[in-house]
Amino acid sequence: MTASTRGTLLLDRGVGPLLVLPATLLVVVFLVGPFYYMMYTALTDLSFADASRNGNFVGLDNFRKLMRDDPLFWDSFLLTLRFVVLAVSIEFVLGFALAFLIFRFVARQRLLTTLLLIPMMIAPVAVGLIWRLLLQGDFGMVTYYMRKVGLLSQNAAVLSSPDLVFPAIVAIDVWQWTPFVTLVMLAGLMSLPRSPIEAAMMDGAGPVRVFLDVMLPLLKPIIALVLLLRGIDAFKEFDKVFIMTGGGPGTLTELVSIYAYRVNFRNWDLGYGAAVAFMVYLVVLILCSIFYKAIYWSANRPAPLGGHG
Amino acid sequence: MDIVFEGISKVFPDGTAALHGLDLAFETGEFIVLLGPSGSGKTTACRVLAGLENPTGGRILVGGRDITALPPRLRGIGMVFQNYALYSHKTVFENIAYPLRVRKIPRAEIERSVKAMADLLQIGRYLNRKPGQLSGGQAQRVAVARALVWQPDICLMDEPLSNLDALLRLHMRTELKRLHRELRKTFVFVTHDQEEAMTLATRVAVLRDGELVQFDTPQTVYRKPASRFVAEFMGRPAMNTFDGAVAGGNFRAAGFDLPVTGLPDGPITLGIRPEQIELVDASAADAVVFEVDVVDHVEPDMLIFARRGASGLIVRTPNGTRGPEHGALLHLRFPSGAMHAFDAKTGQRL
Amino acid sequence: MDRPASRPWVAFAWAVLAVAVVVALTPYLWIVLASFKNRVDLFASIPKWTFTPTLANYPAVFIGKDYWPLAINSLVISTSSTALCIAIGAPAAYVFARMDFPGKEDLFFFFLTTRMAPPISIAVPLFLFFTALGLIDTIYAVVIAHTSFNLSLVVWMMRGFFADIPREIDEAAVMDGRSRLGAFLFIVVPLAAPGLAATAVLCFILSWNEFLYAFILVAFEGRPLTVGIPGLVTPHGTLWGQVAAVAIVATLPIVVFTFIVQRQLVRGLTFGAVKG
Repeated sequence: MTASTRGTLLLDRGVGPLLVLPATLLVVVFLVGPFYYMMYTALTDLSFADASRNGNFVGLDNFRKLMRDDPLFWDSFLLTLRFVVLAVSIEFVLGFALAFLIFRFVARQRLLTTLLLIPMMIAPVAVGLIWRLLLQGDFGMVTYYMRKVGLLSQNAAVLSSPDLVFPAIVAIDVWQWTPFVTLVMLAGLMSLPRSPIEAAMMDGAGPVRVFLDVMLPLLKPIIALVLLLRGIDAFKEFDKVFIMTGGGPGTLTELVSIYAYRVNFRNWDLGYGAAVAFMVYLVVLILCSIFYKAIYWSANRPAPLGGHG
Repeated sequence: MDIVFEGISKVFPDGTAALHGLDLAFETGEFIVLLGPSGSGKTTACRVLAGLENPTGGRILVGGRDITALPPRLRGIGMVFQNYALYSHKTVFENIAYPLRVRKIPRAEIERSVKAMADLLQIGRYLNRKPGQLSGGQAQRVAVARALVWQPDICLMDEPLSNLDALLRLHMRTELKRLHRELRKTFVFVTHDQEEAMTLATRVAVLRDGELVQFDTPQTVYRKPASRFVAEFMGRPAMNTFDGAVAGGNFRAAGFDLPVTGLPDGPITLGIRPEQIELVDASAADAVVFEVDVVDHVEPDMLIFARRGASGLIVRTPNGTRGPEHGALLHLRFPSGAMHAFDAKTGQRL
Repeated sequence: MDRPASRPWVAFAWAVLAVAVVVALTPYLWIVLASFKNRVDLFASIPKWTFTPTLANYPAVFIGKDYWPLAINSLVISTSSTALCIAIGAPAAYVFARMDFPGKEDLFFFFLTTRMAPPISIAVPLFLFFTALGLIDTIYAVVIAHTSFNLSLVVWMMRGFFADIPREIDEAAVMDGRSRLGAFLFIVVPLAAPGLAATAVLCFILSWNEFLYAFILVAFEGRPLTVGIPGLVTPHGTLWGQVAAVAIVATLPIVVFTFIVQRQLVRGLTFGAVKG
């Protein structure tokens, strides 16, 4: 055995771990480390606003307070759930409908889908600003047309109206993310095998039954995927709403991330803030493991054609 | 004539023309095989009849009624797909029951029909399985059962056996024949396998480049091929053909001469099937001599590949104890009754 | 599915899609217009669709208010974090695509969870961490944060692209005498170049658009555009023309990129689960 082949073997044997190591290390140091530090912080009374609270260990006090004595947290938590359910379900229905129309009626889809993509690709901060300008009380373009058709009274402004501000942030999330559902569902529809659909047509099924009996079951994994991805993202929503309303008026649009931000970086109550942040993380982690299962479900589902062909 | 293709053309949106004015007519109860190489338009013809493709020209008539504009579900035609196309999320029972459910047949009757059809195809034991748990042969039977359970007048089969392994294919072939005999439906069967066509069909429609080249019983197609293309397509190994010219009762090809009768002078293509060439003694007067190249033993026969000058041919003959050696001389006789003559340019039978 | 649809249905479908496109694009179009409006046109109580355009907003904010370094910061942060992500993530993705080791799928899932983690949960400890390191309020802090959270995207997306390349290709290269690493660098990477490019562009977009990490980690020095924009918005007397100008500069490169990587986007945004 020559020196060079021995070198190759050594390299081959070590190369796997060698190549994963930097990535793992980076993630561990800058994401996992901080995560554990956050968990630790959640057990202390650390605060930058109160010199006496310099990180004394307080056990589960923060979580006790969170569970029992913090209506603001639960308000924001429930508000976030409402936001997620409303926004994601509207996005799904609209997005799927658009995807189906494109799938069925449009032959050259590239330009159309690219145009639809723009809302979701621009920075969420910019989205927030765009809508803040559009909904501005005195000269906002959308405000003007809403007043014109009677959707808004003369002196009201959407983002400062207690009745309209929550529907508005839902609507804007729908505006931004419906294209995502459209795009993914379109990809799903395009990848459907033709023959079961044709088989259903030959078996006597009309368009509606073909859709319900054949296409929908085949699309199930992708539907699960899209709902979960959107659910996770919507639960983390911060940028747009923070820019548009800052959580207000009052706490009417204070989603749980904004609440966590306020506790940490406005009140500088870091121990308690860590407990809040941990709760957010927990929900996302649960959604995330369902997402992972869904991915494996879609990857390992039996071949859509059936048989062993 | 009950099922009629009337000048059917199909040009796909990308510009490829699959069918050029196909005319074809057959009767109910027949077992029609659409035979051709890939790209011949046989599958397109089948899908046009099914209603899965719209013809760009022509009409489809069934029992005198123009069904060209009808959607598939109103045509009364069942279909078996090449890859089975089972519904992977439904059980075997629900797969077979689906055409009946769609037609809102009463539950008890569905139960009865599915059971009967499953028994006929010997898949009664698998009714609760999902398609993913079936072997290729079982999935195939389910697909056939689903296509026939609602008693359609016509059943289309688009290369249904091509995904099965050789032994199973042979077995399913016999099953289909039995099924056709028992159900008395019209079967339209698409294949590129000439052996399937020979064994199954009451009549074979041979297609090439979107046109019908011959439509007749398998025996006639084999014995009197309408063109050089059909002659070479039907039969394995393929018919031997020689390009040459006739001059005064003598056919001259590259490397050998052959006395012929009743053929006009001029360029011509002669063909003879490998099994019809006779091996004769070296003393025979009208023998043509070829040199043995390779011998294949295809029990119980052997195939002798032989050459003479630029011409080559295959002889199929019952296997003797020992085949001829490479380089040995082969004395052959071409019985005049077994010769096929084709136009040298058009390939049409003369 | 090849049967042509009936006329009214086609008309209905196109009408709906046209409305969708108009709704999707008008807000963006409006801010493009706003960036070319003077104060009077901008604050008109009846929306002005036609006006005499002015270019004044752009120099006013980028030079007058010294916002051009923010654009540079955005560029530096996105470019360097993307380069790091690819350099570190692609080899890891290759290992996930080709080799087997105990706990591989768990490690792979672990990468996903790092991506899904809400920034707000990580930002606090990261803030304390970078304060301790003395990196707070520097561009490095943002680059490192962006690299860590985009890394999982690279690993997940590139695993799919590498898996699409037949294993036999690297095996042939190894049989021809290359090392495993050589096969990866000189044979597999060039073959995966389109996927690599798409992944890089998506990384760039996500880093460029990111707000919360940057917002918490840098207050002044090293601020990218996303963090700079909100500073222009005040409760009273916001100069919307300038805000619009910054927003356009902050979004136009992304719009262009979107047109380039549109085909691979679905795959990236679903972590490789759906092939577009």
